[in-house]
Amino acid sequence: MREVIAAPRPGLDLRRHYGHHQSPAIRAGGLIFCSGMLPIDPETGERRHGTLTSEAHVILGNLKLLLEAAGSSLDRLVQVHALIYDSIEYDVLNRVYRQYVANGPPARTVWAAQIEAGFKIQLDVIAAA
Amino acid sequence: MVAARKIIPPPGAEPAAVGSPPPASLAVKGGDFLFVSGLTAVDLKTGARLHGTTASETRQILANLKQLLEAAGSSLDRVVKVNVLLHSMLEAPNMNDVYAQFFPDPPPARTVCGARLPDGAKVIIECTALA
Repeated sequence: MREVIAAPRPGLDLRRHYGHHQSPAIRAGGLIFCSGMLPIDPETGERRHGTLTSEAHVILGNLKLLLEAAGSSLDRLVQVHALIYDSIEYDVLNRVYRQYVANGPPARTVWAAQIEAGFKIQLDVIAAA
Repeated sequence: MVAARKIIPPPGAEPAAVGSPPPASLAVKGGDFLFVSGLTAVDLKTGARLHGTTASETRQILANLKQLLEAAGSSLDRVVKVNVLLHSMLEAPNMNDVYAQFFPDPPPARTVCGARLPDGAKVIIECTALA
C-alpha cells in the first residue's frame, strides 16, 4: 500500500506554492520516501536562499518536521543523497550535517548537481517508517 | 533466507533489436519494490533514441515507463518515488507540465535536479514502485 504524507506545515506544500507535481513524502513497504528537500520557509513557503550551511539548517529542520509528522525521525534515516551546487563545499556540508545525525549516520552519497532556483543544497532521503 | 531478485524483461522489443544494450536491466524486483533504471527517450520497439525537446522526451519516457510498469505487474499509481535528471534546471517547468499529465493525484514523491546526461539526453527518469 502507498500512503501519502501530507505537508506538516503550510509552507512545505511545494505543489501548492510552486506547482511541483509531487507529494511531500510517500510511505510504502516500511519505508518513507521524501521528495527532494529544499530550503523553504515551513510557514510561508518562501525560498530561504543563503549559504550552504544556512540552507542545510533550514532543510534539516524541514526534514525533521516531515519525518516526525510521518511517525519517523532523523534518527531513522536509512539513505541520504546530498546534492550540492559545488563539491568544493563538501567539508562545509559535513560540518552542518554531522550535527543532525549523531546517533549513527545513515548511508549517504554526495554529488554536485544543478539545484532548482539556484539553491546550494537539496537532500533526497529515505527513512524507516 | 535468500530473498528473490527478479529481473523484468523489457516490454516490446526483442533484446536483439536493441543492438548493443547497456549493461543494465530496465527494472529489477527486490523485496516489495520494483526498481526502474534511469530511462531516456527511446522507441521501445526499435530501441532507437528519440532526441527531442524536454517536453517530448519526458512524454516518451513516461509512456514507456507506464508500459514497463504494467508489463511488470505494477503501474504509475504504485510509484512511490521518482528522480528526474534534466540537462538544465531552466527546463523544469517544461518537464513538470508533461509529468503532471501522467501521474495520479496525489502524485509520488519526487526529486528533480540538473546534471550532465549521457548520449545527448535532455531528460532521464528513474523510479521506485511497489511491485
